[in-house]
Amino acid sequence: MTLFHFGNCFALAYFPYFITYKCSGLSEYNAFWRCVQAGATYLFVQLCKMLFLATFFPTWEGGAGAYDFVGEFMKATVDLADLVGLHLVMSRNAGKGEYKIMVAAMGWATAELVMSRCIPLWVGARGIEFDWKYIQMSIDSNISLVHYIAMAALVWMFTRYDLPKRYRLPLTLLLGLSVYKAFFMESFVHVFLLGSWTALLVKAVITGFLALSSLGLFVTLVHGN
Amino acid sequence: LLLFVLNSADHSFLLVSLYHRLDLVLFSFPAGTRNAVLNTEARTVEADVLSRRCVMMRLVDFSYEQYQKALRQSAGAVVIILPKAMSAAPQDVVRQFMEIEPEMLAMETIVPVYFAVEDEELLSIYEQTRVASTSQGSASAAEVLLHTATANGFQMVTSGAQSKAVSDWLITSLEGRLTGLGGEDLPTIVIVAHYDSFGVAPWLSHGADSNGSGISGLLELARLFSRLYTYKRTHAGYNLLFFASGGGKFNYQGTKRWLEDNLDHTDSSLLQDNVAFVLCLDTLGRGNSLHLHVSKPPKEGTLQHAFLRELEMVVESQFPEVKFSMVHKKINLAEDMLAWEHERFAIRRLPAFTISHLESHRDGLRNSIMDTRPRVDSKTLTRNTRIIAEALTRVIYNLTEKGAPADLHIFTEQMQIQQEQLESVMDWLTSQPRAAQLVDKDSTFLNTLEYYMSRYLKDVKQHHVKADKRDPEFVFYDQLKQVMNAYRVKPAIFDLLLALCIAVYLGVAYVAVQVRKKGNESILSSGHSLGVNTFVIQIHSQYS
Repeated sequence: MTLFHFGNCFALAYFPYFITYKCSGLSEYNAFWRCVQAGATYLFVQLCKMLFLATFFPTWEGGAGAYDFVGEFMKATVDLADLVGLHLVMSRNAGKGEYKIMVAAMGWATAELVMSRCIPLWVGARGIEFDWKYIQMSIDSNISLVHYIAMAALVWMFTRYDLPKRYRLPLTLLLGLSVYKAFFMESFVHVFLLGSWTALLVKAVITGFLALSSLGLFVTLVHGN
Repeated sequence: LLLFVLNSADHSFLLVSLYHRLDLVLFSFPAGTRNAVLNTEARTVEADVLSRRCVMMRLVDFSYEQYQKALRQSAGAVVIILPKAMSAAPQDVVRQFMEIEPEMLAMETIVPVYFAVEDEELLSIYEQTRVASTSQGSASAAEVLLHTATANGFQMVTSGAQSKAVSDWLITSLEGRLTGLGGEDLPTIVIVAHYDSFGVAPWLSHGADSNGSGISGLLELARLFSRLYTYKRTHAGYNLLFFASGGGKFNYQGTKRWLEDNLDHTDSSLLQDNVAFVLCLDTLGRGNSLHLHVSKPPKEGTLQHAFLRELEMVVESQFPEVKFSMVHKKINLAEDMLAWEHERFAIRRLPAFTISHLESHRDGLRNSIMDTRPRVDSKTLTRNTRIIAEALTRVIYNLTEKGAPADLHIFTEQMQIQQEQLESVMDWLTSQPRAAQLVDKDSTFLNTLEYYMSRYLKDVKQHHVKADKRDPEFVFYDQLKQVMNAYRVKPAIFDLLLALCIAVYLGVAYVAVQVRKKGNESILSSGHSLGVNTFVIQIHSQYS
């Protein structure tokens, strides 16, 4: 629906990333190239995941309405590679915890934004036909940013050697939630037949919960030490 | 005028175009709606400003004044939405539209007029547009703001090319014959019906009654008489020539050229020698009356008179509910169009009549898109075909002279007029539009018709008419069917509103991050030393 609309969606999607980058103090550490490296790692991990999925998972030949829960669950399990990738990025960066987390999360999320949202917005939002889905996509990218920050924080905490025993379980649970979040979302949409705005809201709520809990754990961990 | 067919994916429509009757170059200026490329906002007639907009109107709410208002204000386009089952529309609306059709055609306008067949999605688009149009002038500023966020506007885009004249279009007619028994110089009876249809939108003109009923009658007569002529005992001494003419609605071009070719350009032809009479079948599908239209009342003692008498007798004794009359109308050569098909023959001095249930040739039913299959009553069509068949047989076999009673039913049992046959032929005829611009010489319709005729008749031939290059009698234009896409759009204010909301959101996010940063710094300053300690311990563990 014209360039203006594209501009709106672009601003909604990209500016929070920009704000986060500027205001989280990363710019002080000249972290730009490290973020780019994190982005490159993201690309590499996605490529490996795609190859793995294409090789080992058969195409779904069921009916249009049925949802293959087991198949999708297995596919979501492959997303564990994301965690491995994040860990890889973080271990290569020297520095304190927060810095590592932010660099990894920013780079990862920006790469995802560029790869998966840029072209649909450019092609779709500029067309004549108006559709709410472009605004939804931009809001979704904001939610993804928060999600990746939370995920990076969880991975970082998980791999610390001095993690107290009692944190292991909640941490594992939260990690599991973050990996399977997409799977849960799809299932909800199919089972409850949610509309697109409701689905977005549910996603925001889940991510919010994830972020708050991981923040809580992070603060107690850092404080506790 | 273009026909809409909706495609659900992105709301695209198929349009059927208006062909302008003035294409018949009787008036020598090519008038009418030629522009076909369009990119306009949709509105309904309730809106105040209609210029450069695409005005959508429904047939059930159609009013000629509103149509004229749209044209006066130079609307970008007019789309008239027809109900899916035109027979289901209220009769007075249908009648009114039939009367308006010729006026719509005669009106010159540069505004393109489209017709679309309604379905759910088109209807929902129309409803949304109507709500938007009616509320344009009246709401307060706050309502308008709320409205822009929630309502949808539609942008109508067509991508067709400009319509241009089609050159070398051939109008095709088909003839077939049944030769009589008994040597040379037998009298010939010609049975004629034009197969094409006419309406304000060519792709929508199915011409059920006019003249699908005529062609079904002709084919049924061909079938019956071919059966009679198979057996020597019933093989009569008359040649029967059947002619399905094209271009009938265009002043009977097919017939005109066929006559010229047969009478002027050939040495011997059935039409030259001994023509008893020519019977043209036109609109036989409805009503309780039959009229025999003549340009000159038949003289006593001629075969034409005998046929007229037989018709009267058959109707009176076997079908008393039918009102039969002869209508005498002199040929008026000063008019642009001839009234009935028989006048073409009468001009060439062949005795001819047209049989029809209509009393006047000016009846709107003959040239309307509202003439759809449900308008033809199969029983009436069967009865009328029967009347004609009985009367013809009585003339051919001279039954009255031989003493057959008036109420003798000839066509019974195995020879009866088959109503199912007539019905299926009618269904086939109305399953496609048969406007003269759409039936080209290779069309499946003509192939089927030729095949059907050759099952019963001999020497089935095609006859082609091409418009004269220098002084054309008819000019057809293309781009009769187009696809119009409707895109959901939001008004410009919506974009501004959205930008405002996003700016507010970004502002809040920025402030939130700043606050958090300040909060973090206090945590960081306490945790910084911890980080250093952790770092030191790590180094130790690496080296120890």
